[in-house]
Amino acid sequence: MERRWFSAMGTTIELFVDAEGAEASLDAAEGEFHRLEAILSRFRESSELSRLNREGSADPSFDLRRVLELALGGRASTAGRFDPTVHDALVAAGYDRSFEQVPADGSATAGGAACGGDVRLDERVELGPGVRVDLGGIGKGYAAECAAMLLAAAGPCLVNAGGDLALRGGSWPTGVETPEGTLTLELTGGGLATSGIDRRRWRRGGREIHHVVDPATGEPAETDLLRITVAAGDLVEAEIWATALLVAGAEEAAAEADRHGLPSVLVTKDDRTILAGGLA
Amino acid sequence: MTSHTGRLYTLALALLVFFLAWAAFAARPWSRTANGASVKALAAREQRLHRQSLAVQRIVTRRWAVYRAQLRHRRALNAAAPAPAPAPSVRVVTLPPLTITRTS
Repeated sequence: MERRWFSAMGTTIELFVDAEGAEASLDAAEGEFHRLEAILSRFRESSELSRLNREGSADPSFDLRRVLELALGGRASTAGRFDPTVHDALVAAGYDRSFEQVPADGSATAGGAACGGDVRLDERVELGPGVRVDLGGIGKGYAAECAAMLLAAAGPCLVNAGGDLALRGGSWPTGVETPEGTLTLELTGGGLATSGIDRRRWRRGGREIHHVVDPATGEPAETDLLRITVAAGDLVEAEIWATALLVAGAEEAAAEADRHGLPSVLVTKDDRTILAGGLA
Repeated sequence: MTSHTGRLYTLALALLVFFLAWAAFAARPWSRTANGASVKALAAREQRLHRQSLAVQRIVTRRWAVYRAQLRHRRALNAAAPAPAPAPSVRVVTLPPLTITRTS
């Protein structure tokens, strides 16, 4: 088993591959994260996404187009609970720079910003007036899937992108934190994402703020869930549903996870653990 | 004296005639018809290439329109029914975890 750690996309990336002499594949997987960060980061002035947000239209590269397609597909399949046009709402909440640089405390923010903006994707991508896009979570999921694909050439592998996992082959016992202790899930493929309001928090005007925006209000989501872990066919889908189900709240999240067959572990603010989506 | 001057004039005239003949020879008046033929051939070739480029442009425009229509159709299909990835195999076990998932 070979392992590697490095920083990219504002988090720590951990690569595991069940093979010997996989240096070239590990290099390729690490390079893929850095390549995609240069395209998809909203914190880099020179990124393709930043140019799109500045200019309102672009002739997108394959990767930007693909992530936008996936994000818009996610918006459609989650009835808008997942939305890539939350950029201005995040900025309005104070998350306007890489998270390590966001001040932990500060004066009150201006309030929410409208979401659900128009994104037209044809030969070019065109944003509606005033619409800006954030591809933070889904971009990381996409990068992890691409890296896993490269790493899989060497053997069964797992890519852990700051707690979100993309897997190819093998059997991987993965811990999920619950109030009762660590619950271990065994996964053999697909993706596993955790979305929550227990991290990436800050204060504005004496009020606790977190990074998960409810597109219906344009403000940090009011939810009775502390965090939710969702397994899906790939990490991008898991990311989309983890965010959407967190916004939905415990009762509806459990019902939707069952309906869509998404194995999920829900942890509520009052320290209850709920298994859903066929997980028992 | 007179005969010496006469010889000089004769020599000068001979040189003049020689250079005029040389200039006339260098101009190759007999090759004018050949140049005209090559210019005509070039013009004909240019017209033929122009006609061919128009034909190619028409074909490319037609194929591009077909491709765009197919792309729109494919995207509409994708948007209507995104292909779901196969459901993952997940179960709760009692093994120690190799890694941990947490809020990212």
